[in-house]
Amino acid sequence: MNSALLTFLIYMLAVFALAAVSNHLLKSKSFLSEYFLGSRSLGVWAFALTFAATSSSGGSFTGFPSKIYTYGWVLAVWIASYMVVPICSMGLLGKRLNQVARISGAITVPDVIRDRFRSTTMALIAVCLIVFFMSFNLVAQFRAGSLILSKLLSGVTAYESATTALGGFTSQFAFLGNDPAYLLCLMSFGIAVIVYTTYGGFRAVVWTDVMQGVVMVLGVLILLPLALFAVGGLPSATKIMAEMTPPRYAIASVQMENPAGEPQVIGRDHWLLLDERDQVTRVFRVATPFTIPADVKSIDGVELLELTAEHDLRKIVPGNGESPGTEYSIRTDLKIVDVTGPTDYIGSATLTADSKRKLQRGDTVPIVTDTGNTLQLELLENATVTAESSTSVAVRRRDSDRRSIDGITVLSASVNPASYRFGDGQAGVYVTGPGPSRSSMNGFLPLSLAFSFFFMWAIAGAGQPSNMVRLMAFRNSRTLRRSICTVAIYYTMIYFPLVVIFCCARVLIPGMEVEPDRIMPEVAVFLTERAGVAWLAGLLVAAPFAAVMSTVDSFLLMISSAIVRDIYHRNINPQASETTLKRLSYLCTLLIGVGAMIGAINPPRFLQDIIVYVSSGLAACFLAPMVYGLYWPRINTFGALAAMLGGFAAHLTMYGLGTILNGSFYRPYLLFSFDPVIVGLAASFLTGYVVCRITPPPPADLVSKYFEKH
Amino acid sequence: MNSNQAAEKDVPVPDPVYVNSRREAIIIFRVWLCALLWAIPCSYLLGYTHEFDPAKFSTVWGIPTWIFWGIGFPWLLADAFTIWFCFCSMADDDLGEAQEAASQEAQQSSSAAGASS
Repeated sequence: MNSALLTFLIYMLAVFALAAVSNHLLKSKSFLSEYFLGSRSLGVWAFALTFAATSSSGGSFTGFPSKIYTYGWVLAVWIASYMVVPICSMGLLGKRLNQVARISGAITVPDVIRDRFRSTTMALIAVCLIVFFMSFNLVAQFRAGSLILSKLLSGVTAYESATTALGGFTSQFAFLGNDPAYLLCLMSFGIAVIVYTTYGGFRAVVWTDVMQGVVMVLGVLILLPLALFAVGGLPSATKIMAEMTPPRYAIASVQMENPAGEPQVIGRDHWLLLDERDQVTRVFRVATPFTIPADVKSIDGVELLELTAEHDLRKIVPGNGESPGTEYSIRTDLKIVDVTGPTDYIGSATLTADSKRKLQRGDTVPIVTDTGNTLQLELLENATVTAESSTSVAVRRRDSDRRSIDGITVLSASVNPASYRFGDGQAGVYVTGPGPSRSSMNGFLPLSLAFSFFFMWAIAGAGQPSNMVRLMAFRNSRTLRRSICTVAIYYTMIYFPLVVIFCCARVLIPGMEVEPDRIMPEVAVFLTERAGVAWLAGLLVAAPFAAVMSTVDSFLLMISSAIVRDIYHRNINPQASETTLKRLSYLCTLLIGVGAMIGAINPPRFLQDIIVYVSSGLAACFLAPMVYGLYWPRINTFGALAAMLGGFAAHLTMYGLGTILNGSFYRPYLLFSFDPVIVGLAASFLTGYVVCRITPPPPADLVSKYFEKH
Repeated sequence: MNSNQAAEKDVPVPDPVYVNSRREAIIIFRVWLCALLWAIPCSYLLGYTHEFDPAKFSTVWGIPTWIFWGIGFPWLLADAFTIWFCFCSMADDDLGEAQEAASQEAQQSSSAAGASS
């Protein structure tokens, strides 16, 4: 067992010990209030760190680092509003929400909504929205946890054996994916989180959050000097970044010098070199793993990432610079015989035919676009297409002299630009705005999106139900004041240093664009091994793992509380005994966790996109009703309901339009170039206000209950 | 008791937690707005460029100058304000005791409302 794994296991044992103590406390208090809200007794450290740790989700330690790595210093602008996130997300609603929850005796967010607006319907809609959005996020968080764990365990003999054994089993079931290592880690991570959350409840979640919060900040504070030392100081790193140009994607034909007797799996950690006149001129990293079948000499349609920055090339190419490149798996036995130019558009198409057809590499098939134009897609590999089933094949968009093949139908095609649409070949894109972008001609963060994200993190953060629950749990307003300061300092110690660390990572580890979500554990292992303290990697990897765990456990409880408290206890069986509620809470937490785990078997690629979708959606639904409910005596049930549904509809519309117009759910339509969260919030506040004004005022006793001194 | 005293007695007194929270929320919103109007325009004017000139590119302690003045510096100011605001401006209000029983009452009334609708 390696030392990093040992450190990590000690950490996990501590998590389970905290859950056991929490479960013991459950026995002496009112179950629901303690299990879902910690009996409203959180002190400064517990409240501050559970709030910070829950907000710093898997996105902060996987998605955010991957974006810093991919786009450079401009991520400081992307995350800029974290300078006011603590005061906004805790101070805007905190004190008042806590008071209203006490007046009504609410222990969940739908509880507050139900009592404040006297509407069961609205509470049930709130439950549905929470379950809908949080389920999405749970899947993303499970994936993040699994990726981190797989990096930590790689190289451990028992883990490798288990992976091989599991691979033999899962190969029979296509729905289990083709990555047994990921599946094994997903199961380990999922079971661990589900068990301690189910067993310990809110108190366990808070205590583990406190520990995880400490681990996270320690991880960042240790990584920072290690990264700066490894890169030779921040001025040096920024200078190198200023000279860097973005990589390019390419499709190649690869030839094996001596065909092997058994299939060869070429993973993303492998590198290929292109020689011209005995000189290495181009360096590629495998972008999509591929298999060379037994006794096959060459294979077409291999997706590669080409490095273009001089600094990166010197790190990889042996004997051509300060680094011999021994840490890179360079496949000298594989030769690139053909590679498409960087200006081509590459991707894949799904084909079917009226009868069985054999297509050759270079053949073209026509596709009619949404605008009615006909484009030619050139096949990058041989394929057999039948009428009975569809076949996926690598293609590029390019006019070809070869004749178009009739009788072939392109069911769908996804073609991506091989090079960056903004920043290709430009030095300086990693140290200036708006940052390089593969998908947008306006760069990664144009001005309108910079405004949107400043709006989103701070204002939308206040509208997150998971934050609201915590705001209902602190002991008194003195705790709130001190906690806001604590979180402000805490975020300052985490977010800006993260930008620095992963800008350094861009210089230290080239080619991670092929799997950007792995950059955090990759950096942790790289830096600690380089510093001769490999055991420390366990603690550093525990930091993002902790972030993911603290978010997953909170979301699990949010969903189960919504079902047990808001649906079952308050609507179906108000007289339910404590034993029944307890069993149901355990069962719900367990089932939801297992469901999310299953959903994470084949998740989307970019975690951060899911997190952005969920955060903005929840804010669009919950912020306006909550702000109105807390601060506007005139608000009535109709207005609040309209605000909630108006925000949801506007937000979903932007994503729906994005799916139609941009071809991907995760590329929403940007109305006036603004993120859907702005549109959603504007629609929510406006609809709520207008509907409230044209409907009767709320009952006087309800206004008196929440707005007058008694 | 004269009529004025009776009228004063009938005038509802706003909940002090509500009044203080609203005042604090307005201040916080203005702070957010100030941070926005500093960070984004400043970063845009100093750091967004289509023609990168290495000779003109400068850093402060290794941080690009535009990030330092556009994000780093206001971040420190925001922290300083947060600490001042929390310790010197936010009121220490009594949030009351949790009315666990009230939830039952509200539940019954909401059930009744749901039934009537």
